[in-house]
Amino acid sequence: MENETQNTNESTVIQFCPKGNVLVVAEQSLGQIQPVTFELLGAGRILADKMEKELHCVILGYNLGDLPNQLIHYGADVVYVADDEALQYYRTLPYRRVLIDLLESLPEPPHTMLLGSSTTGRDLAPRIAAHFETGLTADCTELDIGPYEHKSKVDPSKLGLYPNCLYAIRPSFGESLKARILGPWKNPQMATTRPGVMIPLKPNSARSGKINSVKVNLDPADLRLVVSETVKEATSGLKLTEAEVIVSGGYGLGSKDGFEMLEELAACFNNSAIGASRKVVDLGWIPYQNQVGQTGKTVRPKLYIACGISGAIQHRVGMSKSNIIIAINKDIDAPIFKFAHQGIVGDIYQIVPELILQFKAMHSTSNLGGKSIVGSR
Amino acid sequence: MEKSLNIFVLVKQVPDQGSKAGLNPDGTIDRAKAKRMLNPFDRYALQAAIHTKKQYGGKITAISMGPPPAVEVLLETIEHGVDRCFLLSDRRLAASDTLATAYALYKTVLYAGKFDLIFCGLQTTDGDTAQVGPQLAERLDLPQISYCEWFGLDNDKILAKRIIEGGCQKVVSSLPCLVTVANSYHPLEYKSFKGAWRVQQLQRNPDNLKKIIQTIDLDVIGADPDRCGLKGSPTIVAATEKVGDLGGNCQMHEGKSPHELVKEVLASTNLNELIKA
Ligand SMILES: Cc1cc2nc3c(=O)[nH]c(=O)nc-3n(C[C@H](O)[C@H](O)[C@H](O)COP(=O)(O)OP(=O)(O)OC[C@H]3O[C@@H](n4cnc5c(N)ncnc54)[C@H](O)[C@@H]3O)c2cc1C
Ligand SMILES: Nc1ncnc2c1ncn2[C@@H]1O[C@H](COP(=O)(O)O)[C@@H](O)[C@H]1O
Repeated sequence: MENETQNTNESTVIQFCPKGNVLVVAEQSLGQIQPVTFELLGAGRILADKMEKELHCVILGYNLGDLPNQLIHYGADVVYVADDEALQYYRTLPYRRVLIDLLESLPEPPHTMLLGSSTTGRDLAPRIAAHFETGLTADCTELDIGPYEHKSKVDPSKLGLYPNCLYAIRPSFGESLKARILGPWKNPQMATTRPGVMIPLKPNSARSGKINSVKVNLDPADLRLVVSETVKEATSGLKLTEAEVIVSGGYGLGSKDGFEMLEELAACFNNSAIGASRKVVDLGWIPYQNQVGQTGKTVRPKLYIACGISGAIQHRVGMSKSNIIIAINKDIDAPIFKFAHQGIVGDIYQIVPELILQFKAMHSTSNLGGKSIVGSR
Repeated sequence: MEKSLNIFVLVKQVPDQGSKAGLNPDGTIDRAKAKRMLNPFDRYALQAAIHTKKQYGGKITAISMGPPPAVEVLLETIEHGVDRCFLLSDRRLAASDTLATAYALYKTVLYAGKFDLIFCGLQTTDGDTAQVGPQLAERLDLPQISYCEWFGLDNDKILAKRIIEGGCQKVVSSLPCLVTVANSYHPLEYKSFKGAWRVQQLQRNPDNLKKIIQTIDLDVIGADPDRCGLKGSPTIVAATEKVGDLGGNCQMHEGKSPHELVKEVLASTNLNELIKA
């Protein structure tokens, strides 16, 4: 990307840039920290180090036990803990209240505040951003810290050079473009990041940090909504975003029953899960939770097998970062062959059974050699 | 339910990304040339409003912010059974980010009057942030139910099921409440004959149309122009970068028996580590 600061002349005003820390809002569910939190800590650590600042983290819940220590092992210098029965399940208003109170009690606002762009992060982050009237960039795939010179004369008070800004980078226009979004005028500068994109640090139990408990003061208006029940996903097996292998089915399957064959293929692998295109989700062949893509999940498995999926842009954006993509489609002009790594032109009902046969044969013979998979996430 | 519900639904007109018309060579959208459509996610919000009206009675108000052609999507909502509409249209709104948009919509909602429920789409296909709904709820100090895929009303309460990571949550909230509707909710029904007929009548009578679809600007709703548009937006797009073609070197296997094809693929990749021992 070009550098906007190149032509800085002598008269450029150096604008105040906030000096606060980086704050990550942790996400936990039923006593487990969600992977996106570790990813955010990995990204937040880099941003904090770049500014020579601390990485802070806040976790909310009930009976959190050892979880705050885990956050330190993954990179946090300070962990704020709000442990209260009213916070047992995620709810917008109580979580919002605790976070706003915490931010208002800090000696200075954080420079940057990060959440996951999970259903929880996307529910909570906009409320906090609107309360503080600060900028929020959704669904980032890259973050950085850097300078920015503002030249627009719309508001003369904003002109000048901002030395330390959060660069929130996200795909736009169906991912043909990446946009770098900034908002150094207000703090905290906020962003949510896509699960599965940032890279966590290796946990280190020798790391030390401070744990501060946070007061929880809810008002009756914060309790206007109650959670009556939390139901775990009906579909058994691994979560889509955590699977190493995803076998995904599209309209080419012809009917709901096709997924049985895909289940059998998935069963050849450790840590596998079933994915789907939106078309078959809309047709009710498989639950929404299995949908991959712009309006479903973003996944990054080691292996993605696309069966009868055309490869529309909205599907591609959810899975194009998979290490190896094998596509099976009977149409040689299907867009999926433009970005898959291995393309098989053929009928899924002939190819998939053959894949199952040969994979099953492989684990009995195993170690046939060949290139190894690159482990980069 | 004794009282008649005031149901609001927020809809946006977006460029149709599916059609090739209006796409610049670099993949950006030429908004002037692009075909326009109702944001696909807002169809679920509209359906939720229609369900509510059918099942519990009441009146639906559709609200949109955008340039004058956005009236097209409001007419579409009337065909589906919406009773009245507001279109907030003002040059000073250009380049609004989500915070500025939510502020302008907040002032519009206040102008439109009393409400029990506000339905929003999950996200838009052009902004693609899913932020405007919750930011509006914050301005209005409302409880919110995002990612809602089922709901029912019971004595001033809404019972709902919302999607969360790895499952779902069942919640009960007081009214008024803001709901963002997931795309696993019921697809939008066909337009009603009554609605289509009503739109035909309205189009013949501009005076009546103006009463049903009120076009308003910042002055009418008493919004502070400094909190709208570029000035009221804390974020800016500082740079864009083209993303190169992804991959583009797919190794193709074709024209052989399935057995041979699969053998070829397995010879050119190593999946041993992933296969069940
Ligand atoms: C706002 C918006 C958001 C969207 N979000 C998503 C999203 O999150 N995820 C998503 O997936 N889509 C999404 N879509 C929809 C997307 O544009 C496509 O319509 C969808 O991905 C197509 O699904 P498909 O590939 O299963 O079906 P199709 O496009 O119909 O493709 C079926 C393919 O199967 C092949 N085929 C047929 N029979 C066989 C056979 N026997 N053997 C082998 N191949 C066969 C055909 O050649 C064809 O290529 C979205 C669309 C919009 C407008
Ligand atoms: N300009 C607008 N006019 C009316 N409603 C909008 C507008 N922008 C966003 N919304 C609503 O907010 C939802 C989320 O939009 P977004 O935050 O842009 O992804 C949409 O589905 C709409 O219901």
